[in-house]
Amino acid sequence: MNRTVLLVGVFIAAALVVVLFFGLGKDPQAIDSPLIGRPAPNFALREVGTGRTISLDEFKGRPVVLNFWATWCGPCWEEHPTLVANARAMQPGVQFLGVVFQDNEDKIQKFLRDRGHAYPTVVDDAGKTAIAYGVGGVPETFFLDKTGKVVAKYTGPLDTGLLQANLQKAVQQ
Amino acid sequence: MNAILGRVLVLAALLVSTGGAVIGFAAGRTRSQEGLKWAQRFAFAFAFLMIAATAVMEYALLTHDFSVSYVAHVGSLATPTWVTVASLWSSLEGSILFWGCVLGIYVAIATWLTRHDYHEYMPDAIGVWLACAAFFSFLIAGPANPFLSVAAAPDGPGPNPLLQNHILMVIHPPFLYLGYVGMTIPFGFACAALIKGRLGHALLKPMRESLMLPWVFLTIAIMLGGWWAYEVLGWGGYWAWDPVENASLLPWLTATAALHSMVVLERRGVLKGWTVTLIQATFLLTILGTFMTRSGVFNSVHSFTQSAIGPTILAFLAAALIFSIALLAMRIDLLEAEGNFEGAVSREGMFLFNNLMFVILTFTVLIGTTFPLLVEAVKGKQMSVGRPYFDSMVVPVGAVLLFLLGVGPALPWGRATKEKIRRALLPPIAGAVVLLAAGYAFGVRNPWTLLTLAFGGYAAQVTLSQMWMPLVKRLRGGDSFSKAFFDGQLGRGRRRFASYIVHAGAVVVFIAIAISSTMRYTQEVHFAKGQTVNVGAYSLTLLNVFDRPEPNRVATVAQIAVAKNGVQKAVLEPRMNQYLGMREPIGTPDVYSTIGGDFYLSVMNIDPAGQSVAVNAIITPFVGWIWIAVVVMGLGGLMALIPVRPVATAFKPVPADAKQYGKEVVAG
Amino acid sequence: MKNLAVLALCIVATISIGAQTTTQAPDAQMFVGPPQGQPITGDVLDAKTAEVSALLRCPVCQGMSVADSPSEMAVNMKHQVHALLARGYTQEQILQYFERSYGQFVLLKPKFQGVNTLVWVLPILAIAIGVVVVVSKMKKLEQPAPTTDDREPITDPYLDEVRQLVGDKK
Repeated sequence: MNRTVLLVGVFIAAALVVVLFFGLGKDPQAIDSPLIGRPAPNFALREVGTGRTISLDEFKGRPVVLNFWATWCGPCWEEHPTLVANARAMQPGVQFLGVVFQDNEDKIQKFLRDRGHAYPTVVDDAGKTAIAYGVGGVPETFFLDKTGKVVAKYTGPLDTGLLQANLQKAVQQ
Repeated sequence: MNAILGRVLVLAALLVSTGGAVIGFAAGRTRSQEGLKWAQRFAFAFAFLMIAATAVMEYALLTHDFSVSYVAHVGSLATPTWVTVASLWSSLEGSILFWGCVLGIYVAIATWLTRHDYHEYMPDAIGVWLACAAFFSFLIAGPANPFLSVAAAPDGPGPNPLLQNHILMVIHPPFLYLGYVGMTIPFGFACAALIKGRLGHALLKPMRESLMLPWVFLTIAIMLGGWWAYEVLGWGGYWAWDPVENASLLPWLTATAALHSMVVLERRGVLKGWTVTLIQATFLLTILGTFMTRSGVFNSVHSFTQSAIGPTILAFLAAALIFSIALLAMRIDLLEAEGNFEGAVSREGMFLFNNLMFVILTFTVLIGTTFPLLVEAVKGKQMSVGRPYFDSMVVPVGAVLLFLLGVGPALPWGRATKEKIRRALLPPIAGAVVLLAAGYAFGVRNPWTLLTLAFGGYAAQVTLSQMWMPLVKRLRGGDSFSKAFFDGQLGRGRRRFASYIVHAGAVVVFIAIAISSTMRYTQEVHFAKGQTVNVGAYSLTLLNVFDRPEPNRVATVAQIAVAKNGVQKAVLEPRMNQYLGMREPIGTPDVYSTIGGDFYLSVMNIDPAGQSVAVNAIITPFVGWIWIAVVVMGLGGLMALIPVRPVATAFKPVPADAKQYGKEVVAG
Repeated sequence: MKNLAVLALCIVATISIGAQTTTQAPDAQMFVGPPQGQPITGDVLDAKTAEVSALLRCPVCQGMSVADSPSEMAVNMKHQVHALLARGYTQEQILQYFERSYGQFVLLKPKFQGVNTLVWVLPILAIAIGVVVVVSKMKKLEQPAPTTDDREPITDPYLDEVRQLVGDKK
């Protein structure tokens, strides 16, 4: 029995199989946000329709649900009714805010007219805000507590259960 | 009908391969001639069943039988015939069936060619082959079954659009499979040698040839993959160290090391354990490679082939690892060396360093590819290991390999006097200087590229002089040219000639990669119809922007004339393709290739209404030489497979117990 | 009275219009502070943009760099890199900025820090161990043979045969 071969072989094989096995449960596309636990970067963007400038700081003092989306994104269509319903139920205690990037303002307005809106939607030109938030795709939703700190981030379309679960973290702070 | 027939054939293949594996291993223990015959029959039966099942699937695809689940998944009335044929390997279930078919063909050929000889090893080798076959049959019969019956829809979605863009899509996967799957055969021989505790000279020929043929296919397949990425993906490069690209490279590295190690084994009778380990590693890396491609664990541009069979493949990989390591640990010491080395500064010494470099490359690429997974497992954080890492690590090792490509063949075998070594190593410096000066004159300033030119020039001179040495010596001896050539180069000297052809191709590949990566020129061009813009030495004119409807897509084409020094060289048509059923359009670049380099256009933005276009123009010198030189390498490898009369070596003669099987094993 | 009201309305309108036009996305300054290098322009700026973009991973593509990816997200990021370089931000600052918002995932070249050092160190270690193993294997394979220089060195058997044939001719 060649001990060296056995030890080296078992070590490499075990490490490899364990690492790969671990990888099986994971989605390589799901990336954690480094912003969690840090203050959300402030921005002042133009609201769709009214042209008013809305800044994130305005909402300090209440938890915020910050949703990045776009009209060309299928899952965003799915989650929109959830957001609208929850916004209607929870505002003004909790503030909802939508940020759209890589899109066309006419399309956004039509979308909101057809599918309803209950909270302000702003436009992020050139995607600078999205980059600052580390947004990889849409939809992505950030949950801020009343001091403006990011407590959770969810990638993908939300349903009421997930939304409430994440919101709990923001409200508890 | 097709679905049921297919399922029956696959199930039969599973039973036959499992039974055959058991018979093979039993025959190996009892040394029964009859048992071996039955194992061979089961091997042929497996091959027949798999080929038949694949034929049924192709028939179902071509007749658009949407009641078969795989046809419903990838078939479509709108796709052209060549795409329909190729859709066999366009998605997971069909590609595993294709794997089974290729494995069947290889097992059949290997069993046929060895049917009269090597009786000491064949039962175990067939056992190993059929055990692997059983696993793949299980996959096809179970988790990855393409023959399920579904309610027949009137039409299907067609294969992934990215795979319909280019003819290379038809040939890259088959070449890759012919390479990957073929590695099972030498694996069988290596395991048989370990099980028997003996690697006799007789086994070298089948081991080498069964390794060389898949190596040729894999070499070409990797190049085709890079060429395809270059022609189709639009970023103008051919290798991004994507996990699936790395998956194809890893077994190639160990296979190349094994081929070199076998030269020393044949010449000196040493490195038996090492060679066997490398061959086993090659097979295991093909299984790892297929796991990486299909499991969904890795982020890759090949992600359209992901599926749920990851855990099953991982289980097989684990089992194969345990089997191989146990076999190695228990038996490697029984493989006795039959010779020795004469000196360190010798050709055999350089072979050892060559093997070390290949193993280091394998290790580095493997670590780099799996590291993000490791970090996530240990720390829960995601990080990336991308192109900048691999380039920094691989380039220096590549430079050492190129150095060895020159110095190795220059050195004589065995111990040599200092005078001889000097006479061997000094003259090729001329080649180094010439190529270095030429590069510098043509504007090369990057230090790594200059180093590559120097080492490459040295290696080129060594390779050319060694390649033609038999011819030169015979001509000096007074032979006629045709006798000297046909006997010295193509006759007795064929294997040697062939290996230097492969080396010559390799030197060109190194140089072409260095130049094409470091001397690239990129420019963004925005223009409207009728406008002309200069890009480097070329000038581009946008002739037209129009839509071209095709059966399965609408292509928006930018027609651009490319001229150099006022002379029009080509009209390129890069385009954006909108496929039915896909939200985002997919861009297709167009390329004007010359001996000196490529002019490449990729669409960034196209506006048919406004008749304007934004394109990325990329000038890449020498990139075409990569494809050509790799084909030369493949042809050299094929030439080496044409049989020659055996070589005198240090091996001991055949042991007496070979007579036990009724036939003398050829000593060679 | 009515004129005063109209005037007041106009003033308020002007102020609100003025306020409307000052939209501000989060700036790199809040992540990495003020620029620490020199602003650059022209060809140098383009070349440096390509260089830094090649070190950033496009978050929506499968492993491509921002320099190579045609996706809108990557193009936006490239413009950000361009703008930051033009303002005088250094490569380190820009990489740090993207790391702060996307995490280490966005860096294609692993940072030499913490557990990540392993990916750089292990191959070097492997080379060192490998050289030791190869040298010791070579020593083991070399048997002590009589080293007289007039002993016939071993040559290529093909050449041997050729020489034999050639010798016969002479």
